[in-house]
Amino acid sequence: MIPTLASLDTAVVAAHAAGDGARLAQLYGEAADDFASSGDIDTACFFYTQAYVHALEQGAPEAERYAAILRENARL
Amino acid sequence: MDQYLAIEDLERVLQPVETANGLSNRHYLDPEWFEIEKRKVFFDNWTAIGFAKDVPENGDARPVEFLGQPLVVIRGRDGLLRVFQNICRHRGMILVKEPGRIRGAIRCPYHSWCYDLDGALKATPHVGGPGHNTHEAIDRDALGLIEVRSHVWRDIVFVNISGNARPFEEVHAKALARWREFEQPLFHTGADSGFRLEVATNWKLAVENYCESYHLPWVHPGLNSYSRLEDHYHIEEPDCFSGQGTLVYRQLKGDDGETFEDAPGLSDKWDTAAEYIALYPNVLLGVHRDHSFAIVLEPVGPHDTAEHVEIYYHAESDAGPERAALRAKNAALWKVVFEEDIFVVEGMQRGRSALHFDGGRFSPAMDGPTHMFHRWIATQFSR
Repeated sequence: MIPTLASLDTAVVAAHAAGDGARLAQLYGEAADDFASSGDIDTACFFYTQAYVHALEQGAPEAERYAAILRENARL
Repeated sequence: MDQYLAIEDLERVLQPVETANGLSNRHYLDPEWFEIEKRKVFFDNWTAIGFAKDVPENGDARPVEFLGQPLVVIRGRDGLLRVFQNICRHRGMILVKEPGRIRGAIRCPYHSWCYDLDGALKATPHVGGPGHNTHEAIDRDALGLIEVRSHVWRDIVFVNISGNARPFEEVHAKALARWREFEQPLFHTGADSGFRLEVATNWKLAVENYCESYHLPWVHPGLNSYSRLEDHYHIEEPDCFSGQGTLVYRQLKGDDGETFEDAPGLSDKWDTAAEYIALYPNVLLGVHRDHSFAIVLEPVGPHDTAEHVEIYYHAESDAGPERAALRAKNAALWKVVFEEDIFVVEGMQRGRSALHFDGGRFSPAMDGPTHMFHRWIATQFSR
């Protein structure tokens, strides 16, 4: 399912304001997975990049999954 | 003309102590001189910027702004302390704003370029366009954080910002040898063992005052009862450090007669000796059988200095709660002594506005360590 970007925006703004990097990684990661499922790989890789960077900052293990997807698509 | 006069000033300082004058007023007042001093005295030498205790755990990062240089001290996952310029290699944005623990990577708050704790550039998001995180023109291996040479000695973090000084161990070999017996673990206990003094003086006057014992009976009368002037000796090591020692150090005692533990294995000399040296340019150090201290002088401007004082103990048992009262007493004693010096260094600073002051003259018998510091400064300016 492609997420509504408006609802994503609202959640991202709230997480950004709270300085909640883990939540940002999660939100972007979910959006990326949804766009990947719909076949929109360019948009997915934008969001995987966002998710990767926030997960990397947090030292979260998901960073490696996002990195692997970006590498598979020659984006990292 | 100014340049000519400056050389003449320095030549007077470089004379033997019997005939030398001190550094001229401009070394204490002139913003232009202060800028030259930054480069020649601080950036070209091993300068203290803080304490390793402030980044105790792996991943700890502490930004330090020293003489306008944005630096960040980081303890890596390997436990090593490193110092970097605190800026992103992309647009020069400040990376770390506050002390804290880096859990994963350092993310630039501007475009989110990410760096590992060892400085390696880990991620350059969207650098090749949206969702494209590489670009052939951006070589990540060549764009890590810019590391500043650093060295930790006695828990003090030294940096050589210009990168052109000889290795720390070589420059300060004589200091390391002199106090080799004290190359032992140091224990710091947090806020009860440190304080900061803001002093309206040029940093050099704090060094000069610290170097000599001449002022002790006049400024620290509390020391007279047991530590007389004749119980002190000069410490003079050209180009490295100078200071004073005492032959009659007495341990502090608590209400029940308790004392701090000695550093293990010290030679008999240290039963009653204590030494105080200014390690050029900006560290004032003291060692005693049962504790040590370090003062990092932060030159805030030509007229202002922050003195960062930290006291260390030589035995882990002295870092526990049962010694808290004695530690507080010790810290309070030292604070009194250092505060007693403030009117002197601030008074000399105000005196530097006197138009006809010639840098002053030195007592050949008593001011050798101070003149040695002046000589070192003059030598740095003459390079």
